[in-house]
Amino acid sequence: MASTALLRRVLALPPHLRRSVYSSATTYHGASQPDIYDVVCIGGGPVGLSFVSALRSHPSTSALRVALIDSQDLSTARTTKDTETFSNRCSSLTPASLRFLKQIGAWEHAKKERTQPYHAMDVWDGVSGSKIHFDSVDQQQTGLLDAVAEMIPGSRFQASRRKYEVEDVGVATMCENANTTSALLQRLHELDEERSKDRLIFDMLEKTRVESIDLGPESKDKESLDLSQWPIVTTSHGRIAARLLVGADGANSPVRQFADIPSPGWDYNQHGVVATLDLDQQSTAQNLRTAYQRFLPTGPVALLPLPGNKASLVWSTTPQHAAKLKTLSRPDFTAAVNAAFRLMPLAWRENATPAASTGLPRNFPRIASVQEGSIASFPLRMRHADTYTGHRIALIGDAAHTIHPLAGQGLNLGLADAEYLAQRIAYGVDHGMDVGSCWTLDGYNSDRWAKNNAVIGVVDKLSKIYGVGSGPVVWGRSAGVEVLERLGTLKGWMMGAAAGVK
Amino acid sequence: MRLLIASTTKPYTTATTPQPPESSVNHTEVSHFSALAASWWDPYGSSRLLHLMNPLRHDFLRRCLSASPPDPAQKLDILDIGCGGGIFAESAARLSMAQSVTAIDPTPECIAVAKRHQRSDPLLMEAGRLNYLQTSIEELHNHTTTANSAGARGDREMKQYDIITLFEVIEHIRRPYPFLSSILPHLKPGGWLIGSTIARHPVSWFTTKLMAEDVLGLVPRGTHEWSQYLIPGEIREWARREAELNTSEGLGWRTMGVVYVPGIGWREVRGSEEVGNYFFGVRKRGDGV
Repeated sequence: MASTALLRRVLALPPHLRRSVYSSATTYHGASQPDIYDVVCIGGGPVGLSFVSALRSHPSTSALRVALIDSQDLSTARTTKDTETFSNRCSSLTPASLRFLKQIGAWEHAKKERTQPYHAMDVWDGVSGSKIHFDSVDQQQTGLLDAVAEMIPGSRFQASRRKYEVEDVGVATMCENANTTSALLQRLHELDEERSKDRLIFDMLEKTRVESIDLGPESKDKESLDLSQWPIVTTSHGRIAARLLVGADGANSPVRQFADIPSPGWDYNQHGVVATLDLDQQSTAQNLRTAYQRFLPTGPVALLPLPGNKASLVWSTTPQHAAKLKTLSRPDFTAAVNAAFRLMPLAWRENATPAASTGLPRNFPRIASVQEGSIASFPLRMRHADTYTGHRIALIGDAAHTIHPLAGQGLNLGLADAEYLAQRIAYGVDHGMDVGSCWTLDGYNSDRWAKNNAVIGVVDKLSKIYGVGSGPVVWGRSAGVEVLERLGTLKGWMMGAAAGVK
Repeated sequence: MRLLIASTTKPYTTATTPQPPESSVNHTEVSHFSALAASWWDPYGSSRLLHLMNPLRHDFLRRCLSASPPDPAQKLDILDIGCGGGIFAESAARLSMAQSVTAIDPTPECIAVAKRHQRSDPLLMEAGRLNYLQTSIEELHNHTTTANSAGARGDREMKQYDIITLFEVIEHIRRPYPFLSSILPHLKPGGWLIGSTIARHPVSWFTTKLMAEDVLGLVPRGTHEWSQYLIPGEIREWARREAELNTSEGLGWRTMGVVYVPGIGWREVRGSEEVGNYFFGVRKRGDGV
């Protein structure tokens, strides 16, 4: 009798509460039925969070039951309040990535005073001194005539170089990864508030470790639910079944391993050394900023602007150099970075090295010091998964591809993956598809794989061409850079691709 | 590609003991589709073209409903006739606007395949969301009215649907007009009958018989009977003879021609409804109209 009364009381509850009473009851009894979700995303980095935000923001997918799993406590992913220190983990967000972050309502939560747009990029060759200058003006259709005119010595080419000052759109925007992450978390929190009535729709399973991923059990009979082709994620907090399991779980992706998707590639035998630097030039928000990259035989070294007098360093070099750099004192490290931008490989005294001969851009800042504790390094690899999808599986971000940082494209490719996969899922929902099936996922794979492969290929070849110190390759690449510099149209096309313009 | 019945002349009255309708299920067609049953859900099998076409069915359905958009709070009952392995029926049952989908097919193997595939989706296993019945349209009322057995057998009401779909079915039916008419009593006033088929035209003979079946092998040989194809004008003529149907362009009658482009997929092509695959929709007049 008592149980009948209890049952009646449970049935009187609204459906979502009824379900939660039911699921907690079954968990208590240790029942084997896993909790069922439409989309389970493993990995709460910027790529995974933006993917989930995109799903939650779109009217077609906002009713899907979504879980995000991360082993970290995501609530601590906040930037420091101190405006004098910046994280050494920064990304250069292209206009396409910014548009996506704005569209899903996340960018308005980013701390703008900690981001720095830049409007031009100077790239030069550390061996021959030949250089190439990119700015956002190049993105406009300058036409063949302009390109030919610029080839003529003494033309108005130099004057046109600074045209970008009237432009509003920059090449890209530097942003700390923690700033992006925190903006996305705030956006998800805001979406949760808006829809607090259906709490069960989205679950942020943080501080949750993935213990294993397996296929579901064979069904007991020929009538009941059959989850034998569904991925079941066993976590430190229970078991959940995924209609679609999304791996945003990084270069060593457990989801990719579960799906048995090969991810071939190679190691560059280089490490990326990152640090936050203080420059001798103070900038305000109104100043137009430039990013710098010099190709040395050991790898490219890049200086990317941050607000005020700050800048972010990405120096790709041999593992031995990287290890040595990390042991240097802060003044010695600062001197080494200045040397890397200013000296010729065999000319050690700066006053004996005329700046023009190295290709050093005008107004290139001097590095004053390095932020304490900001020097770190990581090995550089190229990996590209054979496919991004399987039955009820999709890979996004570093789980799908790892790329050399010289073009600053890693996170941008990942954000584009997140955007496109979320779009495909919305299309699938609108057309009644099973969003874990190939009918939804094939479009994501065919679109993103080819585009990413093109970028990965170009970046890989650039890194190899510039890894050579002398001989015909240097003459060839210098000639190539000089011609590129003069062909505004081609450069514009390259800039469009680099900025992610569609 | 699914198969149906047709041609009973028995009216759906409340006669005391309804005689079993003259079942005119085409047995050649039934055995043809039995042999195909295993490949319904193989992404690279012979049903691939149907899977690829399925999103367009939803686009066309939405276009028809846009004539007078239904209240989002009011969920729709859908009947899919000739459901085959359940490609459209499953997708319809997942739509947020769907209350229930009843899907019927006379081929037992198709229903078995459809039910087996349904079990791999917990959403579709929710009670009442998707019901497969091995039956013909003529026998359907025997299945759907037994559940609410209130009242005597003679005055029971037949369940009616907001949307009845008929995808790739009528080209497999020998006497399509009586078959189409037999569907109408199942449709709610204001509801849409939506289908797709192939127009009888030398072009469609070339594409669906010669190229698709004989040369490229995109669909199994013997799938189509070209002489049974109907052109849109013939279906509209039939609709005009049915007083309860609204055949005014856009409000009650719609067509959409689609073309399969290898390597790209199905695309809407204006005017192609006269020569190849096309969708048609016709609406039952509302109570007040």
